[in-house]
Amino acid sequence: MTVVRTVFTAPEPDRGGGREADPVTTEIVRQGLNAAADHMKRSLIRTAFSPIIYEALDFAVAFYDEDMCMLAQAPTLPAFMGTLGFCVRAAVDGVGGPDALAPGDVILYNDPYGTGSHPQDAAMVVPVFHAEELVGYAAIKAHWLDIGGKDPYCTDTLDVYQEGTIFPGVKLYDAGRLVTDVYRMILANSRMADMVIGDINAMVAGTRAGAEALAAIVARHGVETFRRCVARMYDHGEALVRAWFSALPDGVYTAASVIDSDGVSGRPIPFGVAVRVAGSRVEVDLTDCPDQVPGPINCPLPSTVAAARLAIAFLAGAGEQPNEGHFRPLELLTREGSLFHPTRPAPCFLYGIPADHAIELIIRSLAEGVPDSVPAASGGDINSLVWWGNRKDTGAPWADGAPHPVGQGASPRGDGASALMFLSESATRFTPAEVWEARNPWRIERLALAPDSGGPGRFRGGLGLDLSFRCLEDQYLTAALARTELEPWGLDGGLPGRPNRLTVEYPDGTAADYALRTRVPLPEGAVVHLRTGSGGGYGPPEERDPEAVRADLREGYITEEHAREHYPHAL
Amino acid sequence: MSTVIGVDVGGTFTDLVLRDARTGEIRVAKRPTTPSSPEAGVLAVVDAAAGPELLARCAYFVHGTTVGLNALLEPATATVGLITTAGFRDVLEIRRGDRDDPYDLFWTPPPPLVPRRLRLEVAERVAADGSVVAPLDPQDVRRAAAVFAAEGVDAVAIVLINAYANPAHENAVRDLLRAEGFDGEVSLSHEVSGEYREYERTCTTVVDALVRHRMGPYLTDLDRELRARGFAGRLLVTRSGGGALELDEATARPFETILSGPVAGAAATARLVEALGLDTAIAADVGGTSFDTALIEDGRLPMLYQGRVRGLPLQSPWVDVRSVGAGGGSVAYVDAGGLLRVGPRSAGAVPGPACYGRGGTEPTVTDAALHLGMIVPGRISGGIELSAEAAAAALAPLAAPCGLAGADEVAEGVVRIAAAHMAQAVRGITVEHGTDPRRAAVVAFGGAGPLFGCLIADELDVDTVVVPPNAGNFSAVGLMQADIVRGAARTLVRSLDDDAALREVAEVARALFARLGDSPDAERELDLDLRHRGQEHTLTVRADPEREDVAAIRERFTAAYHRAYGHQLTDPLEVVTVRATTRVRLDVDRRPVPAPGGGDAEAEAREVRLWSFRRAGFTRARALPRHALTAPAEGPLVVLEPTATTYVDAGFTVEPSTGGCLLITRKERSR
Repeated sequence: MTVVRTVFTAPEPDRGGGREADPVTTEIVRQGLNAAADHMKRSLIRTAFSPIIYEALDFAVAFYDEDMCMLAQAPTLPAFMGTLGFCVRAAVDGVGGPDALAPGDVILYNDPYGTGSHPQDAAMVVPVFHAEELVGYAAIKAHWLDIGGKDPYCTDTLDVYQEGTIFPGVKLYDAGRLVTDVYRMILANSRMADMVIGDINAMVAGTRAGAEALAAIVARHGVETFRRCVARMYDHGEALVRAWFSALPDGVYTAASVIDSDGVSGRPIPFGVAVRVAGSRVEVDLTDCPDQVPGPINCPLPSTVAAARLAIAFLAGAGEQPNEGHFRPLELLTREGSLFHPTRPAPCFLYGIPADHAIELIIRSLAEGVPDSVPAASGGDINSLVWWGNRKDTGAPWADGAPHPVGQGASPRGDGASALMFLSESATRFTPAEVWEARNPWRIERLALAPDSGGPGRFRGGLGLDLSFRCLEDQYLTAALARTELEPWGLDGGLPGRPNRLTVEYPDGTAADYALRTRVPLPEGAVVHLRTGSGGGYGPPEERDPEAVRADLREGYITEEHAREHYPHAL
Repeated sequence: MSTVIGVDVGGTFTDLVLRDARTGEIRVAKRPTTPSSPEAGVLAVVDAAAGPELLARCAYFVHGTTVGLNALLEPATATVGLITTAGFRDVLEIRRGDRDDPYDLFWTPPPPLVPRRLRLEVAERVAADGSVVAPLDPQDVRRAAAVFAAEGVDAVAIVLINAYANPAHENAVRDLLRAEGFDGEVSLSHEVSGEYREYERTCTTVVDALVRHRMGPYLTDLDRELRARGFAGRLLVTRSGGGALELDEATARPFETILSGPVAGAAATARLVEALGLDTAIAADVGGTSFDTALIEDGRLPMLYQGRVRGLPLQSPWVDVRSVGAGGGSVAYVDAGGLLRVGPRSAGAVPGPACYGRGGTEPTVTDAALHLGMIVPGRISGGIELSAEAAAAALAPLAAPCGLAGADEVAEGVVRIAAAHMAQAVRGITVEHGTDPRRAAVVAFGGAGPLFGCLIADELDVDTVVVPPNAGNFSAVGLMQADIVRGAARTLVRSLDDDAALREVAEVARALFARLGDSPDAERELDLDLRHRGQEHTLTVRADPEREDVAAIRERFTAAYHRAYGHQLTDPLEVVTVRATTRVRLDVDRRPVPAPGGGDAEAEAREVRLWSFRRAGFTRARALPRHALTAPAEGPLVVLEPTATTYVDAGFTVEPSTGGCLLITRKERSR
């Protein structure tokens, strides 16, 4: 099979004369684009209907130039970093290319092979015109609660066609006029049509507001100045990233791990990463993995690219909002037809599982090169749970879904933080129990840190979360938990943390564990216990400062029994 | 009309403004802030401006203070214990699972305000509808009381799940604690906030417990000291949500004062634009470290109902003032990618801008403004002699790394970039409110605000800039015109589809007003947080459920929604939170406060070398003392006064206007 090298080249400066651009106007344009992207983000959050958008922030908003290079992206879901470029291109190709676009168009696109994720992640792309000239695009990709597919959330699909209705780039608005045929198709294919329509309105309003803002920036500076400034802005982004990358010592860094299961075959899936650093150039190699697997954990290329970018951004200290220039120094190797570069129709609903695992493994591989910058493993997953049913009194359909926080790995800098969202969803917030109880037929019985869960070490791993939901009505649950077998690794002699685990306690007294399982019926009175993974420890436990051990005991982060087992020197 | 004194404690200076009702005289005074004991600075500025005779006939002493905020920022001012529902002791530490910096691999939240060993659980449970699912176990409360006694706990916060819907168990826990002999402060979550979201309510309640311990004694001491000096009026404390609280209320609900810092300027702007008859205005307050901005429409302050301090959420009303790190002290630098950047880091008061000659070597916005002639060299308040040479020396080294010709171009760039930051902040708030900034007037104040009025106007395509009198002390002016405001809120998630639901809202509203204590001269305001069913975020809409029907409220919501988001929906409405506010207007002069008389008599119009951004170069221009400006004058020029300098670019005209304001009008567009 072919090895594919993905390289990102924003147009060279000579196109717009980036070197001649005034640094002051460039900075003003750069700031303006970042601020406009942020306004587009806030507009979406405030009008969305789905908690997956307004609480979990499961979306990305960005501006692209007319060559589909990224002008700016608001800080949202890191996992979506830079993936919108693929879908802007595919969406525009789908409707016949740039020449087929008119002011007022809104393109809908959700093909997993172009978005990088599942069909629920739908993109809206709006072309932006200045004096009848196409100058760029405003785009939002956001998670819809349901767009058909065999279940609202799937862990067992066998091809992409089971995962949702695919819109391969169609105009939802044609020159400002709603295309009702497409609108009716959406309505007819969603179990939660009302909510999805609300979110579509929010996305359309957001992209239109964004398009206006981009047009205003172009108008304020003039097209020529704007393009020159953009060219210089890309050079600037590239220079920043190259400066970070130069800090990594040259060499080849590797690490290997195992994914629990693909949800269908039940077999473990080993894979490895290699990172080659030479000067300010970084090549991430993800070819050492199995061919695409039967179950839905294949990771389409756009999300593999995002995982590689994200891992490097976390290490290199990306504090800036990225643009296309930031991506130039990174190259990616994948193998067509494999786990990290599947081809149609391989199922990919849970693409995030291999992507998230790859992020942590790339970071781990560099422990040797930059030991101070690499923590032990975290709980390693977003622990997605999706719930739905019909309300007992009214019969009204309801659905909800959320990621859950995990303990973070310890590092030479100190103990790992407890109960934070996994890196790829690091800006995501956890829904308050009181909001949940006001909305869903649940009672939250426990929302607590899990004592003793942090991996022992000189520095202790962060604690995982113990969360218990009592079902007050019959309902269904789909569990999508990864890293339930593999313990979060320690580093440099630190011990592992605990893996993720989900147990359902049934009213008849029986109990069962689930990891990747679709449509688990939960009768009234069932209690769902989610125990999220914790962080691995760093350094040998016998080197832990005795005062730190005593403080952990005093505050109840560890029990006496745990202290006796792992830290006898401190007692 | 009554005599009133406003004293605002800022990071660097404590400002006083006084309006003597008998003589009509305005006095202003300034003394250094004394962070370790702020009352010393307050009393010093009072002693400087007002003798016993004046204090004796002063009816109101309106105080803006950072004591509450500091109590939060300083380590361990009090030991607080927390009582929670069984299963929820860690809510305060788990937070919402997010990182303040999503790209920081090592981000760790600050240590929780209450350590885990002092977070104790009691068996009990109330459901979201207020029904009791499990009774309270009094034994658990007794055990907690014993732990608190042994650990020397000063104050206790009680936060039970769903207590907003039924406070019975929280009250019972308090009674049991008292019966066990606990005599410190007790904060109950349903009294402090009454809104849902357990992490945010827990945080607010714990902050209340922490701050109360410090704020009460401070205010009582200050009140006593003022009375010893002859003051016989009422001490009022400004509120984060606008207006001011009476002393006893401020002592009881100190968390409501925590975010009051930037609010006074927005409140002063609201009063001013009301007097000038402007319907849409943008408050543009440029200080040493930040740019604070608010959008004022129809004289009303924009409200939010959740604030953040040091990453901690507070469920408390606050005026929506946005801050960005762009002020006079913001530092300019060239980044690793070769672009000129400004802020958010500030040179602060020490060492301050390079031109202060106090050891600062990094160029700041003030250095750039001085270099461009926008600020006239010489002595400023605090006895600092501004050095143009030091400013140029700091600016020049930035030119080569970003490819600019020299110090002039760097200075121009620094000011333009700072102005662009400010304009973006304004664009953010106007976009969110669905307001076109072009139809607003920019009200520029703060020490550096009047320098930036024209630049912000050009960035936003605005035609009118107003510079109020006392621009440098304008925030303290706002204090003198405060109303006495009290507020209470309760979450009540209900479909608002018929008049029965509205009756329930009215009942909650009556209970809230009763709690606020019905004074006959109080104006009542009722606001509802509304949304379409299925949404989470709400819009707050004024309502009168005693006199209006659901259709009228829906119509108002739909209009507000359309304005904010550009579309409208037919989905059913849901009420989420009911908010009651009472307002008592003080009998003070509400007209704009004129500049103090006298002024800088020696100052004459003179010629300066001034940069014009419109003309992209230096030009000979006039520098006029403010009192010498008696007729319209065309830019470029600068207008000088003791607390601020107003910069007027080419293409703008400045003239004296109502209430002592300067009115700047844009005559030609920049492109």
